[in-house]
Amino acid sequence: MKNIYQLLTCLILILSLSNFTVQAEDWGVPSSAKKKHNPYDANVKNISSGKKIFNINCKTCHGDPGKGNMIHLVPISPTDIGSQDFLVQTDGEIYYKINKGNGAMPTFEKTLNDEHKWMVITYLRSFDKSNRRSEKLAEVKNPEVTDVKLDLEIQDSSKYILAHLTGMTKKGKRVGLHGIEMSFLVKRNFGYLDISREDAYTDDNGKVETVFPYDLPGDREGHVDLLVKLTDDAFYGNLEKSQIVSLGVPTIPVNPLDERAMWGTRANAPIWIMVSYIGGVFVIWGVIFFVLFQMIKIPRLAQNKE
Amino acid sequence: MKEDSSKNGRRKFLKNLGVTVGAAGVVSSFSLLGAAKAAAKEPAEMVNLLTQDGQLVQVDKNQLRPTVTAPLNELQKRGREGIPGKSFVMVIDLSKCRNARKCMAACQNHHQLRPDQHHINVLQMQDAEYTAPYFMPKPCQHCDNPPCTKVCPVDATFKRQDGIVLIDNERCIGCRFCIAACPYSARIFQWTEPKDAEKYKDLTYNIEANVPQKKGTVSKCLFSADRLRVNKLPSCVSSCPNGVYYFGDRNEDAVTNGTTHETVRFSKLIEENAGYTLMPELGTKPRVYYLPPKNRAFKFNGDLLNEENLH
Repeated sequence: MKNIYQLLTCLILILSLSNFTVQAEDWGVPSSAKKKHNPYDANVKNISSGKKIFNINCKTCHGDPGKGNMIHLVPISPTDIGSQDFLVQTDGEIYYKINKGNGAMPTFEKTLNDEHKWMVITYLRSFDKSNRRSEKLAEVKNPEVTDVKLDLEIQDSSKYILAHLTGMTKKGKRVGLHGIEMSFLVKRNFGYLDISREDAYTDDNGKVETVFPYDLPGDREGHVDLLVKLTDDAFYGNLEKSQIVSLGVPTIPVNPLDERAMWGTRANAPIWIMVSYIGGVFVIWGVIFFVLFQMIKIPRLAQNKE
Repeated sequence: MKEDSSKNGRRKFLKNLGVTVGAAGVVSSFSLLGAAKAAAKEPAEMVNLLTQDGQLVQVDKNQLRPTVTAPLNELQKRGREGIPGKSFVMVIDLSKCRNARKCMAACQNHHQLRPDQHHINVLQMQDAEYTAPYFMPKPCQHCDNPPCTKVCPVDATFKRQDGIVLIDNERCIGCRFCIAACPYSARIFQWTEPKDAEKYKDLTYNIEANVPQKKGTVSKCLFSADRLRVNKLPSCVSSCPNGVYYFGDRNEDAVTNGTTHETVRFSKLIEENAGYTLMPELGTKPRVYYLPPKNRAFKFNGDLLNEENLH
């Protein structure tokens, strides 16, 4: 009998707990929102830009799709959004959730524009095993190549950076690889600043260019550390090339300690403050000594008079 | 000319460091030898130690000395000078903050502070009666015209060439003038014995982290100057789960988000989001910039009914 009671309490507890999680996950997506469709094609470009947006805005909590490396939160961790359990939802449902947020999930209604949100959904759909859209990816048609090389051409005067991606075909001919996205990055103290232009995909000759920002500071000589790499390593692995270029604006760092200022420590105090302070000390002590001297003189004066 | 002298300084420092480390190595090996000899003579109170190559050795307790990480004066010297050529700034995006308080926890952990002591504090703000409330993390503003350093009678608090305002707890006499002078209430005073004082009493004082904390002195936010030296973002910045903080070098015109690790142009970020500083009318020229709480990522979930919480 006792056992049955224990079992019952356990059951009730489990049920109430599961009820709680269901409530916490209740998004209340209206049925009209579920019907929305993704207006963007599931092509390589859209998926790759979706991946970029995902890595910046979603990855810190949700982790990589399908890898289960999300952060762990109480009471509920973020979902693995590459899993089939998540992807059974319609595009409209995911879109609604990105927009509204719930609990620890922020709202992205204003932080991401519509296009970006759909790109993220396109990227997520590429993990969907049951979705046909993900299968009809517009593949990039490049011949099979070996010895893929990345060359950089830099024009200092026009601040032009040209990247050239080539590979060796079986016939021993070097050809340009087209339709590959390239990232142009500039090293900064705590990370890389992306200076690539919009849609930085290689053209038919395997070339893609970008213009270095005219006002980006470099070091004293204008040198910056440039890194050019393939945005997606799925095609030819992690191919990158770094080079020191002198395209930045020469910047001489200002040392705030060089000037004398009120907030400086003793050695950096302004001259006028040091002069007036030391002068003040001399004047005050001078007056005191003068008075003392005069007082010593009084008895002498008295003697003289007598 | 200047560059030469700084180069010499660095060489000298490296040389000195090499000599110190080398000497420390020799001394430690001698002391280990001595310990082994002593152990052979008479088994006094022995402790088990694991050597670097993974062997378990027994050492006489009397032979053990606390490790000195770096000579105190060298730490003080480089801490006073700062990192040449840098000009650190922080940008706080108020629209992303939902009062998760991970920054505070990370900071207290790094600087050995108790939970009630704040180098950075998340405040509930409401600017006027009918304005929208929001959360505002508030670290030291590392002003370019700091009122706190002007009033220090013993040169204990100072500004370095990379813009960071530090305090030397070895010099501080605890007069608390700087606390009174700071318009942002960014400084705290160690009224009692600091957290884990007993545990860290043999640790060499590091001016760039204010650890170990000292009773009767003032402590403040340091932009995690010891982490910046090894190109790491400050503790609060890298612990934020919601992408509130950007940190970087103004000379490079780039700031990096601690959560997403996205690097953006500092000038653009401020320009596009109408960034502002706190109490600009005081002319303190803060190095911490705020982006207004517009288009928020989270609804305000603070406790408005309790007026004590509001600032």
